Amino acid sequence: MSRAHSYLSDEPEACINCHIMSPYYDTWQHSSHRNYAHCNDCHVPQNNVISKFYFKAADGLYHSAVFTAHAEPQSIRPRDPSYTVIMNNCIRCHEHLNTAMVNTGRISFKDTKKGEGKACWDCHTDVPHTKVSNISSSPNSLAPMPKSPVPNWLKNSIK
Amino acid sequence: MIKKLNSAIKKRPIIGWSILAFVMVGVFLLGLLAASITERRAEIATLYSNKKVEIKGIEPKSDIWGINYPREYTTWKKTKEMDFKSKHNGNMPLDVLEERPEMVVLWAGYAFAMDYSAPRGHFHAIDDVRNTLRTASPMNPGEGDIQPSTCWTCKSPDVPRMMSEIGIEKFYKSNWSQFGAEIVNPIGCADCHDPKTMSLTITRPALIEAFQRSGKDITKATPQEMRSLACAQCHVEYYFKGDGKYLTLPWDKGMNVEDIEKYYDEVKHVDWVHNLSKAPMLKAQHPDYEMFLLGPHSKRGLSCADCHMPYVSEGGIKYSDHQVMSPLKKVSSTCQTCHRDSQEQLISYVYEYQDKVNEIRDRIEKELSKAHIMAKTAWDKGANEKTMTPVLELIRQSQWRWDYVVASHGSSFHAPVESQRILAHSLDRALLAQLELQKVLIDLGVRDVKMPDISSKAKAQTYIGLDMKTITQKKENFKQTVIPKWIEKAKKDGKLS
Repeated sequence: MSRAHSYLSDEPEACINCHIMSPYYDTWQHSSHRNYAHCNDCHVPQNNVISKFYFKAADGLYHSAVFTAHAEPQSIRPRDPSYTVIMNNCIRCHEHLNTAMVNTGRISFKDTKKGEGKACWDCHTDVPHTKVSNISSSPNSLAPMPKSPVPNWLKNSIK
Repeated sequence: MIKKLNSAIKKRPIIGWSILAFVMVGVFLLGLLAASITERRAEIATLYSNKKVEIKGIEPKSDIWGINYPREYTTWKKTKEMDFKSKHNGNMPLDVLEERPEMVVLWAGYAFAMDYSAPRGHFHAIDDVRNTLRTASPMNPGEGDIQPSTCWTCKSPDVPRMMSEIGIEKFYKSNWSQFGAEIVNPIGCADCHDPKTMSLTITRPALIEAFQRSGKDITKATPQEMRSLACAQCHVEYYFKGDGKYLTLPWDKGMNVEDIEKYYDEVKHVDWVHNLSKAPMLKAQHPDYEMFLLGPHSKRGLSCADCHMPYVSEGGIKYSDHQVMSPLKKVSSTCQTCHRDSQEQLISYVYEYQDKVNEIRDRIEKELSKAHIMAKTAWDKGANEKTMTPVLELIRQSQWRWDYVVASHGSSFHAPVESQRILAHSLDRALLAQLELQKVLIDLGVRDVKMPDISSKAKAQTYIGLDMKTITQKKENFKQTVIPKWIEKAKKDGKLS
């Protein structure tokens, strides 16, 4: 089933209900960000609840329309509104570093489009999804990963 | 609010109906989404129970494989499409001689001067080799051939079948037209796949033999190497050795342009003697694999298939796209897997490499064709062999280098720096040949060489003495009478579906 209720949550697993996101889930799961940030922490606005859910609904419906029409590109790239949100969220968490120590966080994605400064990922090219981006790159991985490497029958018999 | 709506609907029922219709459409669309998610999950489960026929031995008919592997087969069939043109090539035929009439002069005395066009997809391999003027018009099997059967080698999965039936040497030794009714299926599944395991396999002896002679074992190749070696069965430099016309890859001394030239010089191989300059010429075939190995993508571990047969995900199923063609048609599944740039930027980088290589290529074609014509003038005015030999050697070397880059279709992108290096040496030798020729001509009292009008394909062909009208008429006759007979016989013998 489509697990419709999960779309309201912040659980990363909701994003791989449709499995074309699996490679992106996997790369995040193996990244340093996994302990600190979930999909929504970067990919939807975090300034207030209304803009968060508005963006989430709009983006989600766009995704579902593309997915239903089998029109997904092989390499998924953010669109400009998404880039804006992502960059704001980079700056949100790394604010002290970006605004007090250096000035890289004093600009927005819009400025980078005009050639005024660089977006975070122009230098941090691996963060967090690695350089390879293709929905075929790990389509058969077990995502989400099993919670424990020890199988249930063994767990029970050791107890 | 509800009361207000109620009374509004009572007054104008159309409002109620439109709300109903709107909600119904919304529910339907959400239903579609739920269904598509469920359906795509189910696809994965059915993949393994899809084999419907058992394929035994060498099965050249790709449609039979297609029953088991519909996605690979459908995309392979798309190699028949002719809908893409990038700045320089694409998947449609393009009369190169019409665009670059100097090439007619460069190939004077060789079949390529009659007909040379940009290649179409694998699906057209048989049609194209039948229809090109280079295979001439043999009206009866073995009569009037200008090519050996070796010319079929890369065109069809019927070739490994014939080789296993009659033997490799006998296959090469025959005339091209002798197998017209045998070799009928275009490049397909059995050329690269083992029917039992579907793993990649090498079906052409030349590549295996070249590996053996260099002391390498092709059976030790990794899967990633195989994803290039399957292509390297054909997309390589080769020549027809001796009277047996035995297909041979000239890699014994190494795999770059100078190593291969050294090999040819040592075995004294000459593809043809040039009609105008009398130079002992080499024709480069298509050293695609050799050039690719020298470029940045190969050095980072990529294979041909990574870009020319990219993986695609269709719902829950991942497979390799068998529409082998320019990666520029599918930037999203090719370049963008590794490169973050936009599609427009990526394509513009490729064009930039290609344009720069073409800049030098244009110069060479102009200067080298001039060198051939100057040499002809020198002969006409009574030059002797002794003074001409070093000049002709320079012409041979220049043209070999030019052809090596030009015939290796993707080289300007696959290995841009190596392409530029080779072309620089080609241009250098073309101009050196001209310098030497100036001296010879002055000694003969010639101060001015008259350049012929070669501004179009037709004019250039007339200049080198080709009677294109007769050649084309013969070919038309051949196409209308002989080819239908081949097809009919193949169908009757069950060789063609």
